[in-house]
Amino acid sequence: MSKNKEETLKIIKGEDAWEPVGPTPLPDITDLRNWSMRLLKTYKPFYAPFCDLCCNCTYGKCDLTAGKKGACGIDIATHQARWVLMQCCMGLSAHGAHGRHLIDYLINKHGKDYKIDLGLQVDVEAPIIRTVMGLKPEILGDLRTVIEYVERGLIHLVSSTHTGQEGHYLDFENKSLHAGMLDLLAMEAADIAQIAGYNYPTSIADTPLVELGWGAIDKTKPVILAIGHNAAPINATIDYLQNNNLEDKVEVCGICCTAHDVTRRSDRAKVVGHLARQLFFIRCGIADVIITDEQCVRTDVPEEATRAGASLIATSDKICYGLEDVTEKEIDEIVKMITEEKKQVLILDPDKAGEVAARVAIAIAPGRKKEFINEKTAMKLAKECNGCNLCSEACPNLLSVGKSVKEFADGEVDKLSETFKLCFTCGKCEQKCPKNIPIIKIMQAVATKETYKMRSGRGPIHDVEIRQVGSPIVLGTIPGIVAFVGCSNYPKGDKEIAEMMDEFARRKYIVVASGCAAMAAGMVKDKEGKTIWEKYPPGFEAGGVLNVGSCVANSHIAGAAIKVANIFAKLPGRANYECIADYILNRVGACGVAWGAYSQKALAIGTGFNRWGVPVVLGPHSAKYKRLYLSRKEEDDWNIMDGRTEKMMDEYVEPAPEHLAIVIESKERAIVSIAKYCIRRNDTPVGRQIKLNHYIALYKKYMGEGFPDDLHLFIRKPTDVPMFFKREVMDYLKKIGWKPRQQVGLPTLINTYPTKANIADIK
Amino acid sequence: MKFNVEVGPQFEGERVRKDDLYIEFGGPKVGAKVELATIKKMDEVEHGKITIIGPDIGDLAEGGSYPLGVQVEVAGPELDKDMEPVFERRIHQYCNYIEGFMHSAQRNDVWIRISKDAVKKGLTSLEEVGKVLVYLYPSELPIIEKVAVTFITDSKKVEEFLPSALTVYKERDERVKGLTEEVVDEFYGCTLCQSFAPTHVCIITPERVSLCGAVNWFDGRAASKIDPYGPQFVVEKGELLDANTTIYSKVNEVVAEKSMGASSVFCLHSVFGNPHTSCGCFESIAFYIPEVDGVGILTRDFSGESVNGSPFSTMAGELSGGKQVEGYIGMGVEYLRSPKFLKGDGGLRRVVWMPKVVKERMKDSISPEMFDKIATEEHAKNIDELTEFLNKVKHPVMSGEFS
Repeated sequence: MSKNKEETLKIIKGEDAWEPVGPTPLPDITDLRNWSMRLLKTYKPFYAPFCDLCCNCTYGKCDLTAGKKGACGIDIATHQARWVLMQCCMGLSAHGAHGRHLIDYLINKHGKDYKIDLGLQVDVEAPIIRTVMGLKPEILGDLRTVIEYVERGLIHLVSSTHTGQEGHYLDFENKSLHAGMLDLLAMEAADIAQIAGYNYPTSIADTPLVELGWGAIDKTKPVILAIGHNAAPINATIDYLQNNNLEDKVEVCGICCTAHDVTRRSDRAKVVGHLARQLFFIRCGIADVIITDEQCVRTDVPEEATRAGASLIATSDKICYGLEDVTEKEIDEIVKMITEEKKQVLILDPDKAGEVAARVAIAIAPGRKKEFINEKTAMKLAKECNGCNLCSEACPNLLSVGKSVKEFADGEVDKLSETFKLCFTCGKCEQKCPKNIPIIKIMQAVATKETYKMRSGRGPIHDVEIRQVGSPIVLGTIPGIVAFVGCSNYPKGDKEIAEMMDEFARRKYIVVASGCAAMAAGMVKDKEGKTIWEKYPPGFEAGGVLNVGSCVANSHIAGAAIKVANIFAKLPGRANYECIADYILNRVGACGVAWGAYSQKALAIGTGFNRWGVPVVLGPHSAKYKRLYLSRKEEDDWNIMDGRTEKMMDEYVEPAPEHLAIVIESKERAIVSIAKYCIRRNDTPVGRQIKLNHYIALYKKYMGEGFPDDLHLFIRKPTDVPMFFKREVMDYLKKIGWKPRQQVGLPTLINTYPTKANIADIK
Repeated sequence: MKFNVEVGPQFEGERVRKDDLYIEFGGPKVGAKVELATIKKMDEVEHGKITIIGPDIGDLAEGGSYPLGVQVEVAGPELDKDMEPVFERRIHQYCNYIEGFMHSAQRNDVWIRISKDAVKKGLTSLEEVGKVLVYLYPSELPIIEKVAVTFITDSKKVEEFLPSALTVYKERDERVKGLTEEVVDEFYGCTLCQSFAPTHVCIITPERVSLCGAVNWFDGRAASKIDPYGPQFVVEKGELLDANTTIYSKVNEVVAEKSMGASSVFCLHSVFGNPHTSCGCFESIAFYIPEVDGVGILTRDFSGESVNGSPFSTMAGELSGGKQVEGYIGMGVEYLRSPKFLKGDGGLRRVVWMPKVVKERMKDSISPEMFDKIATEEHAKNIDELTEFLNKVKHPVMSGEFS
C-alpha cells in the first residue's frame, strides 16, 4: 500500500522549505517497523498474562496454556500482544478524541487560520509533529491535519486486532509502538491548541503557584468542581465569571488534568487533587455544581452527586450518563431545570455548559449546608463496626481499613488518618460493609485540611533552555532528565513521588512532572513547610522541578528530548523519526517514571516514549499492564556502530539504557535504577563519572554497602570512575578482572538494521 | 572513604544561609583570609599530611566570623607551574562537594560558611575537609601524586602567610598577561561537545576561551597532561598563514581530522571567511549586522529580541551544530576581554551593540572612547534606532575606520 507522494507532500506542506523533507513523512504502520524490530531485538517483550484464555470470538473460549493455540491459530504471546495493542489504542483514542474536540472547538471560536504562537522562547513549536509527520504547524487548521493523520492510523491499528488479522507478537508490538507514537503526536497537537487558543502560559518558566488540596477550597462560596481532562467547559465558566466580575465570589476547582488546565487559564482556580480524590471530595458535599468532561471520571458521578446534593452537568459525548441532552435549550431554561426541577443534564456546548454551571452554583449555594462531619459523629458511625474485616479484604491496596475504623471507634485517630493518606477512596470497602458504615465519609474527620501549592503547567521547554543545559549535560553536571508522570496508583501514597523527585532534584537532575503525579508531588511539605514546587527552581535546568501541565502536556517532555537533538545538536528533524529516536536512545539521558500509572492512556504514553528511545520505570501496580520491554544485559544484542567510522563495535556490551519498560517493586530500588537508566553510551568521561557517582551513592544509600553488580559494565576507562569512589572502585574492578575498552565516538543503531534513515544525518 | 557528612556533586551550588550558619571563615567581615595552591618537588610534600594551625571548627564560638588561610601543596613528576591556578580552583570545587560547606570567591577574598546541620553531623574539624581534599586531588587528577593541606585559623599566622601568597598571585597575573598566542608553543583542542555535535571542535588559546566559557588555556593544558587521549588535547600551531584573521596550518589539520572533514580552515579571530564552528552550548554569539557593517553581541541569558530582531534561540539555531556559518560565531563571554577579540574584523571597535549587563561587566576591558559608542537595548531596539544611535555617537563603523 504505497502512499501517494504528491498527496503526502501536500498534507505536510512540502513546499514550505524550513528543512528538507526526511525519509519518513506521515509514516504508516510499517514505515518505522524496522526501527521497532531493532528495539525489540534488544528489549524483548515480556508477558505476564492475567488470564490464559482468549474469549474474543465465538469459536472460543480458547485455552492458550502450555503452547496450545486458539481456534484461529493464535498463540498466547500474540494474543497478549494483541491485548496490549487494544489497550494502547484505547489510550490513543482518548487523547486523540480529546484533541479533536478541543481543536474543533477552538477552530469554531477563532477560525482555522488562527496563528500558533508559543512566544519568544519557543521556535521549534512542535518537535513531535515536525519529526513524525514532517509538518510545521502554523495555524489551528494544521493541528486538525495532525488529528486527521492520527485518526487514519488508529483505524488501521484497531483493525489489526480483529480475529484473523495479525499473527505475530512482534508485529503487534510494532503496532503498539506505533500507537504510542501517534498518542504523543495527538497530545502535542491538543496541548499546542489549548496554549494557543486559551493563551495558556508559554515561554515563561516561572508560572504561578496555585492552591492545592481539598482543604484549600473555600466552602463558604459557591463551588464548581470540574472532573476530567477537557477544560473547555470549565474554562468557559472562568470566562463567564471574569466577564461578569464574579471571579471573587465563586470558587472554581478541579480534579485530575482538567484542574491543571483550568489553572493554566486562571491562577485563581484551585486543584483539589489527583483523580483518586473524586469519591472522597464529592461525598464531602463541598461542590455545588460538578462538571464532568472526559477520561478518568468515575462512572457513578450522577448517583454520587445526587447523594451529596450537588448538581451535575455532563459535557462530553464520551460520558453522557443516560442524561437528557439539553444543548439546544436556552440557558435560562436549563438553569431552571437544574435548580428547580433538580435535573442532571448533558450540555454538549462547552460555552453554554460553562455559563450554566456558574449560574447554577450561584443560585443554589446559599441554600446548601456544607459541613464536614465532626470527629464525634464520625466515631459514632464507626462504632457500628463489628470487626468482620471484609472491608480490608476488598481493598485493592491491602490497607487495613477495618482495623483503622475499629481503632477510630475507640478514639484512636492516627491509624485511620494514616490509612487515609494511602487510600484512593475507590469505595470498594463500603460496598462490602454488612453494616453499611460510610467509611469514606468517616475519613473526612481525619483527613488533613492542610493546603499546598503547585506550580501551574508551563507548557513546552524553551529552545534557549535546551541550549543552556547543553553544556552541563555534556560536562555531566546535569546527570539526567527524570520525568515523573501519570496517575495516582502509588503503593505508598503521594509521599513516594515527592521523595523520589526530591532525591533527583537535590542531585541536580532536571526533574519534570505532569498530570496527577505533579499534584501528588505537591501534597508533601518539607520541614520548612515547603512543597517541592516551592523548594526548587521552575526552569529546565540543573535541580529544576518543572510542571509541564496536564496529561497531554507529557508531549513536551518527549519534545524536550527531541529538541536536544534538533536544536542542540542540529540534527535534521523533519520526517526523520529513526534518526532522532536513535539519537535520544543513545545520547539523551532521560528516564520516565510512571509510578502510579493505572490507565490505558498511561500505557500508550509509556509505549510512545519507548519508541523514542526513552526508558520508562513503572510502579508495582503496573505489572497489571501485562507487558514489559526488558533486556537481559550481556546476553542481548548490544552491538552498536560508531557513526564516525561506520564500523561495528563488536562485543561492545554496555546495557545503556538497560530496559525500555520495567516494573520496579520499591521506591528504593526504583531510585537506584532510575540513576542507572540515565546512563547513555555517548557519555563523556566527566559525564559518566557524575552519573556513576549518583548510581553508586544511591546504591549505598538505599541498598547497602558494596557496589551494584553491573557497575563494571558501565566503566569504559579509568577516567569514567567517579573521583569520590576512585580507590574502592579501582580495587573492586581489579578483583573482578575488569578490562578497559574504547569509548564509542558516535554510538548509533542506524545502518545496523534495514533503515530508511540516512547515517549522514547523524554526523 | 567515609566522612561524617556526605560528599558529592549534588552539593555543588548549595547555599548556607544566615539561619543555617554555624560559623564562617573569611568573607567580608574578616580581614585575614587567603587560599593558595602551589606545586612542590616530590620530596617536599608528605602525602596526606593535614596541619591545623590555630583553633578548629569545634573550638570556635557559634555564629562567629574567623580568619582563614588554606594552603594546598601538590607534587608529581608531570606537573608544571602553569597548572597551579587550575589546581587552586579545585579547592573551591572540592570544598563545595562537601555537604553544608559553602566555598565562594578565591585568593584573598575567600569565604567559607559551615552549616549547623553539618556540624551536628560531625563536621567539627577542618581535618575532615583536609581529608576530602587529599582524597579528591589524586582521584580526579592522577598526575598529582602527593597532596598536603594546611589550614591556618590563627589571625596573626594568616597575616604572616598573606604577603607570600600575594607575590605568587602577582607573578601568575603577570604570566597570564604575557601569555599570547605568539608566545606559547601549543594550543588545546576540546571535543567534549562531540558527544552531541559530532563535527564541532573548540580551539582554545591563551587569548580565546572555549565557547562554553568553561575551559581556558590553563585548563586545557592540565587536562591534556592528565589524559592525553581524552577529550582535551594538544594542538600544535604550525605555520601562521594569516596573521589578521589568525589561521594556523596545524590548527587547520586538527580541525579537519576532528570534524571528519566538515571544516578544514579555521579563522581564530574573525566572523568572516571560515569562522570557528559552534557547538550548541556557547555562552554568547557575535553576529554581523550588514546594515551598519558592525558586529553585535548577544548572550544566552538575554531574554528579549536582539537589535536585529532575533532572540537568542532563533539566532543560535542558525549557527549551532558544528557548522561554519559566515557572519556568526559562538563564543565564551570572556573572549570579549581578549586583546585578540575578533582581531581580523576590527576587534571591539567593530562592536555596535550588546546587552547592557554585558557591557557593564566588560567595562574595564572596553576603552572609555568605545564604551559610550556601543549601543545596548536601552539605546536601540532595532536596526533603524541603531543606525541613528551610531551616527549620533560617530561610531567607527559609520566611517569605516574600525581597523
